[in-house]
Order: sequence, then C-alpha cells, then structure tokens
Amino acid sequence: MDPTRQLLDQILLSFGLAAYIGGALALFAYLLLRLPILRKLGLPLAIAGCAAQFAELGARWWMTGVWPLTNLYGSLSLFSAFAVLIFLIFAFRYDLALVGGPVLGLAAIALGYATTWNQGYMPAVPALQSYWIKIHVPIVVGAYASFMVAFCVSLIYLFKLAAESHYRSRATLRAVAAAPGGARVDFTLSAYASTPAATGRIDTPAIADAAARGDAFASWLAGLPSLARLDVMQYRIIAVGLPLLSLGIITGAMWANEAWGHYWQWDPKETAALFSWIVYASYMHLHTRPEWRGPRTTLVSVFGFASIIFCYLGVNIWISGLHSYKM
Amino acid sequence: MAARSELAVTPRAPSALREGWDDLVRLFANVGFGVSLLALWAALTLIGVVIDQGKDPAYYVATYGPPFARLIGRLDLANIYHSGAYLGVLGLILCSMAAATFTRVIPRRIPRLGPVKIDAIPLHAAVRVRGEPAEVRARIAVFFAARGWHVRKREFGGDEWTFADKNNWARRGVLVAHAGFVIIALGTTLYWAKGFSGQFAVLSGASATIPQTGATLALKNFSYRIEPITTKAGIVYQPIDYVSVARVTGKDGVAHDAVIRVNHPYDVDGTLIYQSTYGFAVDLRLTKDGRLVPGGPDQPLKEGEGFPIGGTSRSIQYARFVGTIDRATGEPAADPRPNDPGVVLAAYDGDRPIGNVLVPLGRSLDLGAGYALTPVRYVLYSGFQYGYDPGIPLVGVGAFVLLAGLCISFYFLPARLFVIARPVEGGTEVGLAATTVKGYDVFEDRFGEIVDELRRGEPEPAH
Repeated sequence: MDPTRQLLDQILLSFGLAAYIGGALALFAYLLLRLPILRKLGLPLAIAGCAAQFAELGARWWMTGVWPLTNLYGSLSLFSAFAVLIFLIFAFRYDLALVGGPVLGLAAIALGYATTWNQGYMPAVPALQSYWIKIHVPIVVGAYASFMVAFCVSLIYLFKLAAESHYRSRATLRAVAAAPGGARVDFTLSAYASTPAATGRIDTPAIADAAARGDAFASWLAGLPSLARLDVMQYRIIAVGLPLLSLGIITGAMWANEAWGHYWQWDPKETAALFSWIVYASYMHLHTRPEWRGPRTTLVSVFGFASIIFCYLGVNIWISGLHSYKM
Repeated sequence: MAARSELAVTPRAPSALREGWDDLVRLFANVGFGVSLLALWAALTLIGVVIDQGKDPAYYVATYGPPFARLIGRLDLANIYHSGAYLGVLGLILCSMAAATFTRVIPRRIPRLGPVKIDAIPLHAAVRVRGEPAEVRARIAVFFAARGWHVRKREFGGDEWTFADKNNWARRGVLVAHAGFVIIALGTTLYWAKGFSGQFAVLSGASATIPQTGATLALKNFSYRIEPITTKAGIVYQPIDYVSVARVTGKDGVAHDAVIRVNHPYDVDGTLIYQSTYGFAVDLRLTKDGRLVPGGPDQPLKEGEGFPIGGTSRSIQYARFVGTIDRATGEPAADPRPNDPGVVLAAYDGDRPIGNVLVPLGRSLDLGAGYALTPVRYVLYSGFQYGYDPGIPLVGVGAFVLLAGLCISFYFLPARLFVIARPVEGGTEVGLAATTVKGYDVFEDRFGEIVDELRRGEPEPAH
C-alpha cells in the first residue's frame, strides 16, 4: 500500500493513543483533585482521541477497501473507541466525568494491546466476506464497550463502599470505646443499599461523618457521586449493553445461519457470549429487588465484565473454534 | 336456612394439594430462584465452552487424563448442550418465567389513585408558587399534560389530588421479553421435531444425494483462491475465496446450475446447501514389483481415510495433504497451494500408530517385500453442509420480541407523580412525590429536572 497512506494511518493511531493516555492522566487527576481545569482538559482529549480512532478505522477502510473489523486489531480498536464514546455520552448527559480516568486508561491499554495484533492490511477470509460483518461486529463490540464503562463505574462504587465500611468500623471502635456498655452497630454492607433514595441524600454516613470531622480522605470520598447514583449509572450503562449484546447475538445467529448452515452451532464464542448474556440478565433480574440492588449487583457487574473479557479475548486467543480470527 | 347459609359462606380450608401447588408457584416465581436457575444455566454453558464438545473418548483421555475423562463421560459433559441436565434447567427456567409472569409481572399495578403522605415518599419536593390552589392545579395539569404525562384528578376528604402517569404501558416490557424467550424455545423445538441437517463431501466430477429429500448435487468443479500477503510477521497465505460449481436437482427433477460460496447458500426445495470445507483427495496406487495389485484403495482417499494391507494387521492412513514441500529441507513449507505437493501417510499396526512419512506426489513409498505405495495425483473435493429448519422464522420473531421487551423494560420507566396544591400565605404550595416500579434511585435525576422545570415555569408567591 501507498507509504503516505500508511503514514496517515500511523499518525491517526498514534494520535488516538496519545490523546487517550493524556486524557486518562488528566481525568485521573480530576478524580483526585476535582479541579475543573482538569475536566476541561481531559474531556476534549477524550473527544479528540475517539475522533482520531474512528478516522483511523475509516481511513483504513478507504485505503484498503477492506472492512477494518475483520481481525482482532480492528475490533479492539473499535472497542476502545466505542468505550470512550459511551463514556462521553454519559459524562455529558449524567455528569460522569469522574469515571473518565479508568475508562480512558483501559481504552488506551486496549488500543495499545490492539497494535500488537496489527499485522498490516489483509483481505478478509471467505467466512468474513459478508455484509453481516458491518452489522454484527460493531453491535457486539459496542456491547462489550458498554460493559467496560459499567465496570469502571462498578470499581468506583466498590472503592467507595469499601471506604465506607472502613470508616464505619472506625466509628464503631470509637463508639465502643466511648460507651462502657458497648454499642450495637449494623455491619452489613447492604444496609445502605436498600436505603430509599431522596434527592440530595447521603448514603455513606460514616464517610460524611469523617469528612465533617476534617478527615481529608473522607472529604475527597464524599465528593464522589453517591452509591445510589453510581448504582443507577451502572444500571443505565448495562441497560445499553444488554440490548446491544442481545442484538449482537441475534445478528450473529442470522449470519451463522447464512454462513454455516445453522443459527446456533454451540461454538465456544457463541456459548461464551450466551454465558455473558445470562450473567447480565441475572444482573437485571437482581436489580429489580431492593435487597440485591447495590453491592451485590455491582459484584455481578464486575463478574460480568470478566466474562466479557473471557468471551472477547480468551475465546479468540486460547480456544479454537469458528470465531478464531486473531490476525 | 340459617345453618345452610352459614355453611355456604364459610371459607373452605385449602387442600394440602392446593397449598403445595401454591408453594411451588411461589418458589418458581421468586426472583432469587429464577436467578439461581440462570446461574446454573450459565455454569453449564461455561462447562461447554471450556471442555471441547463432541470429541471421541480417547481425546478426553489424552487431553485431561483418565480420571477427568471418566468424569466427563459419566456426567455427559462432552455433550452438555444436549444433556438431560441442560435441557432440564432450560425447562425449569421456562417454568420459572411462566410462574413469575402470571403471579408477579401481569398482576403488578402501580398503587391505586389515592392520597399519600408526600414527605414519607423518598422522592418528594415542595414548590411555592403564586395563585389560588384551583388555578395552580389547572396550570400544573397543563404543565404535565404538555410533557406527555397522563393526568387525572381525584378528590379525597376535601383535598383535590392530581396524579400524573407516564409509560404505564411499559410495565408489560418484562412480559414481552419473557414471551420472546418462550417463542425462541418453541422455534428451537420445531427444528428438533421437523428439521434436519447433515454434511457430505463430493469429489470434483462426482455427485451426492441428500438422503432426507432425495436432492442430488453433482460437483462440476471446486476452486479456491489463496493469496500470499506480506504482514509484519512475514508472509501469510490468506484464503480469499472458495467456490463450488455444481448441478443441483431437486423435487422437480430439473438440474439447475448452482454456484455455492461461503455466506451464499443454495436453496433447493427449502433445504439450504452451504459451502463448508474443501480438501485434496489422493489416488494411491499399491504395486508389487512394479505391478498393480488388488487390495489398494479403488478410489481417491480423503484426509483421514485409509486402507488395510491385505494379510497383515497393518493399515495405511492418508493423514494430510502438503501443498508445497520445501526442496531444501524436504519438510512441508508454509504455502498451502499445491506447487510441489505431497502427502503425509500414517502407518498403523492395529490401532497403534507406528510412524508417519511425507511422500511427494509421484514418488513411491517402499513398504518392503516388493510392495510400494505411490500417491499418483490429487483431486479437489468440496465439503457441504445442508439443513432444513422450519423453526427459523419463529426463532427470529422470538428474538426480536425478546429484544423489544428488553428495550421497553429498560428505556420506558413507568412512573407516577402525586401532586397536591394547598394554600399558603401569599400563594400555593405544590407538594410533589414520585414513585416508579423500579425504585426511586433510577428516577432521581428526572424528578429533580421536573421540579426545576416547574419551579422555573411558575411565578413565585407574593411576599
């Protein structure tokens, strides 16, 4: 291929990666310091990186005439671009810029890892020469990306929950020390999860209490979104991912019916995707119950993303099957 | 009469059978039970991902060792997706969905229209506005109606309440999703009841028949295109196209030309024929002292096929085709195209492998005692799959019903607002509270926006 075009591809890829790394640093710093300038720096970098990535994929298609999602490099590249895009939508719609550090960090790692699978410009194998590749792959990768963003929110939730537990145990020790008769304190983490919401409420009282007493770390924690809000954000992002995953499985089945003679072959990739679908369907069922909503559903979300990574990379790389398109 | 009347109205104690049934329905309708079944389904599915399915027992012994291979055999883990346990779990999930649908999803109603303690509902707010309560109530009704809320008014104990509902219909989303799942299950069952599938391989110039329909396929030729592509890791021989050109005869008895490619199946009387695999069949000639002898294969062998050597316990298997032999090393080269082809032949004594040898096409392999085996030529063959599945339309409908149910459930939140307007000094205080079928947290943002909009749109009370 024309070296000038290859150079354009490289420049866009490098720019996207650099923008993600810069954006991740800025938004991690924003998470720590809450300086608005860092948010104003990080979000444009995220937008620029995302745009560069889409441009790179588009340019690759234009230059080679081959749909760029026929290999692991292309799909991982789209995965990181979609993850950042979904993050940006939620950041602007729901003021979720605080999650940007982990999202952009993981997107940069995914893109960096993708480059190790970039073998150049190859035509598609016969099984991938179908219009379905333009429908099925972006939908499935969009679902994976949604779950990645939900996972980042889950991490912040669990971090804040663990900190709340820590401050509660310290508060309990103080209470026990102060009251000669001893004090009964509820240690169950779900106690707060079932607390009904109210506008402006505090659902991490131990953190709020410590913050009021001047604890700097608690003050920082108190500035994070409430647990209830983080839980709702996870729910909303998974509510994007699960229909996408369902649609991805459906379109994959339609493609399989055209290519392999049956819509369901019990191929490892199909069954791994079904496994992830069941995990997230369980999440949604559990989320309907107040007693399960919160820490438990968050753990399901984390487990769900682990299952997605297994389905996406583990099955592609380690388990041979009809979906082994590594190169 | 009185005694009879008393007997007539005395409620009968439920029978033990009825109580047992009710307990069973309650258990199956329980979300925790349903999720436990989903977890079991997930675990069984994962086993099938990790353990290769449908292999010979010897494969499991070689891969996992005898103790684990025995466990795989006993628990039917090598065929898990068609095992009784797997189908049983799916059946239990369908029962659980049915119980949940009829006892929880369908009967679930948003609370009846009635007065509430605004402050007791976690999502609540109070907005002070100018004007008399009746006038404010009218403005509020217009405010909500303009935003797509279904507004109703009721009077309770002299207080007039306004109730605004949105997306009430969306409570049926879960029902729709469950219905989709059931339709998919029906479509799958239809395939098991009436569908069929299979596979066959045909040598160029030969024909094959689909046993279930009697349709025949005569393969004129098979061609492939493999191109060397230079990548960062070196040259990769990338398959570009596989094409079978055939004459297919269906029920009408007329032969039709068919070009069958990957992703482009050929439809013969509702049965689809798919391009699946291809390979190189090889003509092997067995000679003794240079003369053809009986006992050799009488037709080209495909990879994996073999023949016994007459009068001995030994056999020869055609293991695989090598497109290009590296002249310098005598070993197989990376190029799969038949530039300088050869075959790998495996020798067995009974079931025991005794060795492999790579023999270039046209060269003879000395078997001893004057016997020689010569791979003479190769013939391309094409592998096809075929299938007839009357359940596909139903599965497709079910899939989209399921998807529609998910979208309704996730994106249309049924919510109710309770609004009361009471006079206060200088104006009216509007009390608002909101409830949804998915708790309060999920509506917190929207409720805040509604209250803000209301606050901005209404004139402040006179001071």
